[in-house]
Amino acid sequence: MKTVFKLAASALALSFATGMANADDAFWKEAAAPYEGVTLRGVTESSPPSLYIREVLAPEFEELTGIRVDIETTSWDQMFDKAIKDMEAGTGIYDMVYIEQDIVYSYLARDFLTDTTQLLADNPALKAPTYDEANFTTFADYFKGENGHLYGIPMEAFIKIYLYRTDLFGDPDIQAAFKEKTGRDLAPATTHAEYTEIAKFFYEYGQENDLQLWGATVQGHTGHAASWYEYVETVAPTFGIYNWGIDADNNYAASVANGGEMNSDTAKEALQWWLDLRQYAPPESNQSTWTEVGTTFGAGRAAQGLVYGENAGWIAADDTKSLVVGKVGVALPPLAEGVMEEVENGEGYIGYYDGGAFGLPSTSKKKEAAALFLQYIGQNEVQPDWAVAAPRVTNTATYDDPKVQDMNEELGGYYDMLKDKGYLFAGAPAYPFHAQLREAMAPTFYNILTGDLTVSEGLDKMAEIAEATLTELGYRK
Amino acid sequence: MQSNRLGWILLAPTLVILFFFGVLPFIYVVYVSFHQWNPFAADPTMIFNGADNFRKIVFDTEFLNSVGVTVLFVLFAVISELVVGYILAQAFMKEFPGKAIFRTIHTLPLIMAPIIVGSVWKLMMTPSIGIIPHYLNEWFGITVNIGMSPVAAFTTIIVMDIWHWTPLVTLTLIAALVSLPPDPFKQAQIDGANKRQIFFHITVPMIAPAVVATVFIRLMDALRTVDEVWMLTGGGPGSATRFVGVHIFKEVFPKTNYGYGSTISVIVLYLTIVACWLLYVTMLAPRNKKE
Repeated sequence: MKTVFKLAASALALSFATGMANADDAFWKEAAAPYEGVTLRGVTESSPPSLYIREVLAPEFEELTGIRVDIETTSWDQMFDKAIKDMEAGTGIYDMVYIEQDIVYSYLARDFLTDTTQLLADNPALKAPTYDEANFTTFADYFKGENGHLYGIPMEAFIKIYLYRTDLFGDPDIQAAFKEKTGRDLAPATTHAEYTEIAKFFYEYGQENDLQLWGATVQGHTGHAASWYEYVETVAPTFGIYNWGIDADNNYAASVANGGEMNSDTAKEALQWWLDLRQYAPPESNQSTWTEVGTTFGAGRAAQGLVYGENAGWIAADDTKSLVVGKVGVALPPLAEGVMEEVENGEGYIGYYDGGAFGLPSTSKKKEAAALFLQYIGQNEVQPDWAVAAPRVTNTATYDDPKVQDMNEELGGYYDMLKDKGYLFAGAPAYPFHAQLREAMAPTFYNILTGDLTVSEGLDKMAEIAEATLTELGYRK
Repeated sequence: MQSNRLGWILLAPTLVILFFFGVLPFIYVVYVSFHQWNPFAADPTMIFNGADNFRKIVFDTEFLNSVGVTVLFVLFAVISELVVGYILAQAFMKEFPGKAIFRTIHTLPLIMAPIIVGSVWKLMMTPSIGIIPHYLNEWFGITVNIGMSPVAAFTTIIVMDIWHWTPLVTLTLIAALVSLPPDPFKQAQIDGANKRQIFFHITVPMIAPAVVATVFIRLMDALRTVDEVWMLTGGGPGSATRFVGVHIFKEVFPKTNYGYGSTISVIVLYLTIVACWLLYVTMLAPRNKKE
């Protein structure tokens, strides 16, 4: 009887699901009918989530609707260059552009993006029944304008986490050696001093045992903005220096003299701590961007590191690329005293919540068709497989999917951390001058890395440059 | 008269393309160079600021540093390529076993895109992993880290450029050497001239036009080097390899400082023209005067 009941229930569920799917398919076909044969063009960074759009979601959408979607995947620099030039010149080449979280404020300030909330409200026939802005995680808030409307459909979101080697941290011999040397148990660091101590221990362990193993990764490229990002977005907040040390409410003050924190004693302590870590990091560290940090960790050359979540997936689970599959754990980054309390009180953040969205340029000539595609990639239904292919979660329901739960196990609980502790992290500050200020300060930062400037001299100079640049750009009065 | 008209008709498509894709953009760059224009400034419009950008450039230490580094790079790279290219061209004039294979291998770097060259050299130079630092350390105990040593980074870029572009110089000089008439050399030998005298008084003057053309090409290329350096060092460590091309790229693209970036471009173009003119005057004018 029970079996009959189960079978009947399954058949009912299956027919209901099939009916829903057919109904959904009917919507896409009907809504897309006026745009059949149209070709949409998008430009994005060549990253796993973007490649999934190009290889899987775009062909699926084309098959369903007859609307062709060409996704151009290119380098980080080229992506911005192409998108900005297109939107600035109003050529309308692109119907979708990748908006990294840190550039959205610049785009919004220039009215580059279409208000998708309003577009769908004005065109109810375009609104997919399976699309709902409420499905997104709070990360979507970064892509909302002052009117609370959404200007980009989130497509990737991840945090920069503390990744450590569980095989090394869990090895009884290593644990005993660590205890003997330091007098404490080996466990992921919660303070900066502990982090350094672990880095030093594994560096020495690698040297003593003639291993290609170092104490920690450092994203310390001496000619690429990646190093500057690691300091301002990952290291400085763990010491309580937020928003690059700039006080936006105080006339964008950067220097301590004017009310900023960029060259404060705490900022100098933070930078010095990070620079000192380099002695325990692999030699390639001063040529490492985010990509090389991932590669270094995946090659098993570091015992711990601060790594972007987008790389955590393949490091932990892809044995065609990584030598440390199944040997990776995740933890929150080490923090200075009092920082967690500040963050819990909503006064700061402990690390970087990175990601991006697909936006519809104001200059697009095929907004309606593009709106359909953007809703398509924003549905709950397409998320689980996407999250498994590339570790990114943008919709709340994705966390509970069995496939994602399995992946979570492989990733050492990364998705749980993203879900439960994601609120402790934050995206880049809401500066419309993000790239401009970064590039103005970066050369000085590189000079600190090479030792041409001391930490103190360098941060003083950076604060001075920041204020001068903001004055020149007209933000600081 | 008819052939004149035919000539213009045949040239017309090229001239039209050149006008739209060369002259017009150049005029626009000059126009923009007299403006303050950053689309992400509080005021994103173009604001005419006269010669302010040109005045600013004189005090811009980053730009001046990039010019200095570029000039050094051009001097080292172009002279080395010329010397090595000439030696190889002379070698290829003679017969030796495996000549065809060696010449093919030697020419291969020429067909590689600069961005690929930069990527390959980056892989080869990555500290501790790359093959070059690894063997330099293992065989000679030398530690090379282009991420920390400005000298190592700068030298690597010069070596990379020599590796990439010497084949061009070699091929050009082979063409020049092959076309030299044998009589002057025979007469010089009869007159008792030694090898050094023959080289300086016959070979060099006779291949001078080819040398000047090659140097022009390499000079202009070297002055706007971006791709390889971008891939290999990103302009670092610090500003050690921030050549003018990289500086302009960073100013115009990430910083979106279109006005000032255009000014730098105009100045660099001017400096390139001056350098080429000086070269022309120094190397060819005395010869023309003599003739």
